[in-house]
Amino acid sequence: MKGHLTDKELIEYQFKLASDIQMEEISGHLESCAKCREHLEQLKEKFAALDLLREDVKVSEDLVSQVVEQVGKPARPKVVSILRPRWIGAAAAVLIVGLILLFANLTEQGTRYGPVKESPTLHSYGDGALDKEIAKKPAERLLVTRAKEEKAELEGEFEQPSGHGVRRGATASQRVPAEPGPPFAPASAIELVTLPRRDKVQLTIYNSADLTLVRERRNLTLKKGWNWLQFMWANTLIDPTSLSLEPLEKADKIDIQQLVFPARLRELGRWLIRSEVSGKVPFEITYLTSGLSWRAFYMGTLSQDEKTMQMQGYVRVGNNSGEDYENAQTRLIVGKVHLLDEIAELARRQYPYGSPWPIVHDKKYDYSALIVADELSFKSRSGVNGFFEDKELRRKEITKEGLSEYFLYTIEGTETIADKWGKRLLSFEAEDVNVTSLYKYDEERWDNQTIRFVSFANDKKHNLGEMPIPNGTVKIYSQADEPVSPSASRGGQGYLSYVGGTGIKYIPVNEEVELNLGPARLVKVEPKLMDFKTDNYVFDHKGEISGWDEIRSWQIEITNTRELPIEIEITRGFDTAYWTLQADIPFEKHDATHARFKLNLEPRIERTFEYTVTTYHGLREEVLP
Amino acid sequence: MENTDKSLLDAHRQGDATAFAELVRRYGDSLLGYLMRMSGNREQAEDLFQETFKRVHEKAHTLRSEHFKPWLFTIATHLAIDGLRRRRRLKVVSLNQKLDCDEGRCEELSAVAVADGSCEPSQETVRAEQAEQVRLAIESLPDRQRATLVLAYFQQLSYAEVAEVLGCSVGTVKTQMYRALKTLSQRLPDVSEEIK
Repeated sequence: MKGHLTDKELIEYQFKLASDIQMEEISGHLESCAKCREHLEQLKEKFAALDLLREDVKVSEDLVSQVVEQVGKPARPKVVSILRPRWIGAAAAVLIVGLILLFANLTEQGTRYGPVKESPTLHSYGDGALDKEIAKKPAERLLVTRAKEEKAELEGEFEQPSGHGVRRGATASQRVPAEPGPPFAPASAIELVTLPRRDKVQLTIYNSADLTLVRERRNLTLKKGWNWLQFMWANTLIDPTSLSLEPLEKADKIDIQQLVFPARLRELGRWLIRSEVSGKVPFEITYLTSGLSWRAFYMGTLSQDEKTMQMQGYVRVGNNSGEDYENAQTRLIVGKVHLLDEIAELARRQYPYGSPWPIVHDKKYDYSALIVADELSFKSRSGVNGFFEDKELRRKEITKEGLSEYFLYTIEGTETIADKWGKRLLSFEAEDVNVTSLYKYDEERWDNQTIRFVSFANDKKHNLGEMPIPNGTVKIYSQADEPVSPSASRGGQGYLSYVGGTGIKYIPVNEEVELNLGPARLVKVEPKLMDFKTDNYVFDHKGEISGWDEIRSWQIEITNTRELPIEIEITRGFDTAYWTLQADIPFEKHDATHARFKLNLEPRIERTFEYTVTTYHGLREEVLP
Repeated sequence: MENTDKSLLDAHRQGDATAFAELVRRYGDSLLGYLMRMSGNREQAEDLFQETFKRVHEKAHTLRSEHFKPWLFTIATHLAIDGLRRRRRLKVVSLNQKLDCDEGRCEELSAVAVADGSCEPSQETVRAEQAEQVRLAIESLPDRQRATLVLAYFQQLSYAEVAEVLGCSVGTVKTQMYRALKTLSQRLPDVSEEIK
């Protein structure tokens, strides 16, 4: 190599762009030439700047998720369309005409110039050969088979693939046993009937069991023949074992054959539907889901005189099911439901009926897995209507039978209940519910606090009684100021003050309910022990005390600082069943060990009464009858 | 045994959602790096990244061989070059772009500088400026040269693989590479020792 290496040679050497021979030559030169080595170093230094952009780039998990979501739908398999562009037909026609002319020309020439050897290429597409050719291309074969089948269906036949026989004129249900099996569940979404929007949806929510029955009505567009309908429940709490599909019209012409849970495809099921009709058909899809709940709560507004109450009942429906329900007719079940399965657990299972993988599989797609899934689904069927006969689901039928025992609470009209949303709905409103306010004092239960109670009955007399009142919380308010109009006295206007709240249990019709509104600050009861003595000692033969009386004198002071008259009930306990009482007001024996005083107090008044109780101990107990 | 790219793609075609995610993770870093160097902008690179895998999904049935990686980069290259052409025709400015950045580049560059952490702030600034010069120098290359350089130098594909990606001969790749390097030798900044 003459002279020094050029930049080109050095670059080619450095980046291995030169041929092997050139590389060797350059390498040899560099060993002997310090200047070129220095030049090479300078070049390396220059290109080292490229390394400034050699930082590691990491793909965020978000981006990966976005990409995967973007291609969430399974890939489209290659399907050769039967409907080719028109120009292909025209081109083919021209080609065929050309070939005929050419063939005629050759034949003519052959006649003229002698026999011509037959072309093997032309003959290889004779009878049966085309099928062989197609057999090499599975996708095309599938297409042709389907094309044949569809053609037959258009002629009113249900032709099966060769080898399975043909049954003419059989009804859909009759055909089922004779059919060798449905078409293989497509792994992709191609040829699936698109699940359209719901036309109607009805929710029946059992709040006691985190269970909701969903009934949807959708108009599906079917084609004549086999149809696959895909239903996905990803990110929802739908119990896939409860899925059911029923045609609402033309039931004799539509046969729901099976529900398949394809292997490798999670959280989706595909119904195989055999239809003798094409076009729109209304279907009802029912399933159970978890995550929808409801609870009742009530608001009572006491009138100024506290003798009546305006009562409003509300229902709050919450949706955490992962699914939006638009314009749903909502029904609420009051009462306990006995469930053996937790729907949420069923919904979260990876496979609806257990793993379809009987053995450990490699990643290669295994058709046997789907067969296992199919068998399981078939085993669970008993009858055309299928899945509600399943063993697991029979348990749920217990709850269904029990429905008549429970009260169904239907919300008027429809409501849209979106996922993660809650909605408060007015369930009833009652004016002028007669209520009784009662203050109670009982040291054994509430220490030295006076507790306020409001009671009413769930009956017609109280403007209620149309339906049982479900469990819930009640908040009671009262008018805090002077009413500005007569209507305000019924809670229509004026300021409200919170009186108290409590939980109530299920109130059947005609049953009375008493609401504990908590301690009353404006009504006070103060018992004072004024005197205590013992008397009437009895001695046994040894001279020891074997009986005595205890006599206590009590003064009870009651202060009503309210602007309203009140009724108060004071309960006093004596820790023994042997007692006698003298009081300056009437009392009643509440039970063996308690006496009860009832008083009506005027507004802003303080009242005192006294009583003396004598309790008998030991042999003195025998004094009492 | 690790699944081959082809088997993952086939599994995806059969509906296995995890297979595609595995492919994305397997080639994600490398592909995103390539697209960032091609586009010079992370935001656009991420768009191209998504578009590339979307095409992979759509064209999955067309891959006959086991050569997934070159095929993936071929798709990415076409998209990147198309994107570059569009950008030249229509200057696109992202609404998310920081106002104090020039054409949305500083975010990536500052990320490079800060991530290292070994430099003083002044050195970081110098380094960031130099990185920007390098990026501009690469951006000034014709598309094919740039793709060749990025694939061969940064993605460390062999020249044969680059040829497969770009659909040309190895000789053409070497020619493109030489031209790219020759241009760069005049445009790359001098990087001082201490900053290197």
